[in-house]
Amino acid sequence: MLGSTLTDARVQTGFSLAFHIVFAVFGVGLPWLLIVTEGRWLRTGDAVWLALTRKWSRVMAVLFAIGAVSGTVLSFEFGLLWPAFMARYGGVLGLPFTLEAFAFFAEAIFVGLYLYGWKRLSPRAHWLTLWPIAISGTLSTLFIVTANSWMNVPTGVKEVGGKVVSAEPLAPLTGPGALPESLHMLLAAIMCTGGVVAAVYAVGMLRGRRDAYHRRGFGVGLVAVLAAAPVQLVVGDLAARVVEKYQPAKLAAMEALPHTRDHAPLTLGGIYDPDTGKTRFGLEIPDGLSLLTGFRTDKTIRGLDILPAKEQPATPVVHLAFDTMVGAGMAILGLAALLAVVAVWRRRKGVRPLIPLSRPWLVAGALTGPAAMAAMLAGWEVTEAGRQPWIVYGRMTVREAATTSGGIGWSLAATVLVYLGLAAALVLILRRLATGAPPSLAAEAGGPGPEPQDPDEDARAAQDSETAELEGAAR
Amino acid sequence: MTAVNLLLAVIICALAAYALLAGADFGAGVWDLLARGRHADRERRLIAHALGPVWEANHVWLIFVIVATFSGFPSAFGLIARGLELPLAFALAGIVLRGAAYVYRAYGEGAAGPESLWSRVFAVASSVTPFMLGVSGAALATGKVTADSGPLAPFSSAFTLVAGVFAVTVTAFLAAVYLCHDAGTDPGTEDLVPVFRRKALAAASVAGVVSLALLPLLYQDAPTVAHRFTERSIPFVVLAVVCGFGSIAVIWKRRYVLARATAATAVVAVLLGWAAAQYPDLAVGTATARDSAAGAANLHALLIAMGFGMAVILPAFFVLLKVFSGPEADAK
Repeated sequence: MLGSTLTDARVQTGFSLAFHIVFAVFGVGLPWLLIVTEGRWLRTGDAVWLALTRKWSRVMAVLFAIGAVSGTVLSFEFGLLWPAFMARYGGVLGLPFTLEAFAFFAEAIFVGLYLYGWKRLSPRAHWLTLWPIAISGTLSTLFIVTANSWMNVPTGVKEVGGKVVSAEPLAPLTGPGALPESLHMLLAAIMCTGGVVAAVYAVGMLRGRRDAYHRRGFGVGLVAVLAAAPVQLVVGDLAARVVEKYQPAKLAAMEALPHTRDHAPLTLGGIYDPDTGKTRFGLEIPDGLSLLTGFRTDKTIRGLDILPAKEQPATPVVHLAFDTMVGAGMAILGLAALLAVVAVWRRRKGVRPLIPLSRPWLVAGALTGPAAMAAMLAGWEVTEAGRQPWIVYGRMTVREAATTSGGIGWSLAATVLVYLGLAAALVLILRRLATGAPPSLAAEAGGPGPEPQDPDEDARAAQDSETAELEGAAR
Repeated sequence: MTAVNLLLAVIICALAAYALLAGADFGAGVWDLLARGRHADRERRLIAHALGPVWEANHVWLIFVIVATFSGFPSAFGLIARGLELPLAFALAGIVLRGAAYVYRAYGEGAAGPESLWSRVFAVASSVTPFMLGVSGAALATGKVTADSGPLAPFSSAFTLVAGVFAVTVTAFLAAVYLCHDAGTDPGTEDLVPVFRRKALAAASVAGVVSLALLPLLYQDAPTVAHRFTERSIPFVVLAVVCGFGSIAVIWKRRYVLARATAATAVVAVLLGWAAAQYPDLAVGTATARDSAAGAANLHALLIAMGFGMAVILPAFFVLLKVFSGPEADAK
């Protein structure tokens, strides 16, 4: 219950993590998108690309700062809320965290150069500063998630009587979950960034702002989220196989499978009832889980009953979160497949632009943003709730790890209050930043407002820029 | 030198970098808070301008210190975090609000409340943070901080409170010295140089007076560290005093580049004096460096990673400071 130190500590950690992740994903994804837009501007000199670049770099400035300070909060919270965990395993997790600190250093240094260097660096040098930002943002995601993957599959550590007596320094980086889990998060970050960018410009176009600025912003975001989707399917499947092997109870919770059995069904959706072991309102596909996991219908899958009831994760939450993630991911993948077919067809017919921009398509594109964000947060809920009651799987419970200090209720209340205030202000600022093309661009285009341009003209412009790009590449 | 001592040395160097770089950023916030009169708005603009490109990179030194401490000395970290939970929580709130307020003011275009509101938040948070960090550092020397000493223990002696004030005055002093030079590089802000010169001289004097008050309190409230301070730290004290008075002299003579060096040396000398007296305790009476250290293999891996990391980061950091050191007119 809220009010107990353990619950308060968990809620505060979960809240701080969610806040950090929601904003930090853009610090990971936006630099890659900026490399595209600013690179296009360098090659074509087209003011639209520059306008997109300028706008997104402002967004990145705000979100990077929020990500940086909320990340600092987390590093303190490990010690403030989970002192016993840090005391025992801080040394084991030292290497990934130290590497992450260096990646963050590089990111902060080059973000400073990028944001404030427009007049001090040559255009090319300015574009080049994006590369260390993008690469170190990516690396810091990978490093930090390996720490989490080690908490899920703790390998390479010897303990005697609750004390670590020896730990392989590289264990968190080379653990079986490290690569699939960290890649899974990286792709999620790119999908969230792409989806939300696409959503912003889709909404703009739905409101009638159908200029080149909005079309290209929409296109870049949509391509990012849709192109990552099929890769995410493969990586997510690999991550699930690691869970099946090392955390069978978590997989059972994800799939709401109460008993160990062969011919295990796949249950889609529904509310799992821990008392009866039945899932109400779910859609059951016979043999589905056995088939997915072992590629044959008689594969035995371990159920929740491998553990006594009080050691099982909170199955109703984990199952729903998992199906939310998979459902949202599949919807995005479906849109990707559909659009790929449509784009090939339009290319053959010579119709431009390749992505249709009529209302239903824009609505679908706009939904990729919320879908990707929901999938990402639900995925974290699966990982974290599915690990319960352990903080380090099989080695230390969250109860043992939590602080015994009183007064956590105050710190939780203050955290929630400050973060909600900052988030509200941030949303207002992002809304202001998201209102339309900059006035200079609108003036250049010959009209002050959201004047729809002649689509043929824009198609020609797009072809011109593609030709210019090819020439640039040829040189 | 053992791996434990080497890691301690790295942490102290990083702490010094944090004090000199981010410390000045916080101190600039103190001057934002104190800005009065007809120059006030232009002073605030100069401060915001000076912070822009560097404050986030400067801030990472703190993250590095935290990470190195919990990776290298995990059991001490859990204990220190529990003992210092209240001052650290306030410092954290200050860090979050300072950073958020800075970008909201710079990029918000007034969408989330007037600039003056965020300017206030920025200034107050900048002043609170060094105070809380000063209290935290001093509390580790008192021997009164244990895992269950209660949240108010770090505030319960005059020594820690005065040390917090000392930290604020030192950051303000550094900021004023740096800003003297910054103001002088742009014709548009040249008239602010005498303003910050006065502030630098005032802050130096106040810091001197506070340090005189701090010394007897050290002997009263932190006897173990005070004893080692007498034995080991006199050379650092001499260096700090010489550079402190030297700073006043060169600021008086308007040699602001030299003043940066003397001011920085004085601050580093104070930090080293404290570190030498604190050694080998992390938290006096409850955690020594050696007893709380992680396994040898992990320490070696950390040190190797830090060596490679610094080889990449330090040149990049240098480029950052270099690119933004001159006026914009120098640009290509």
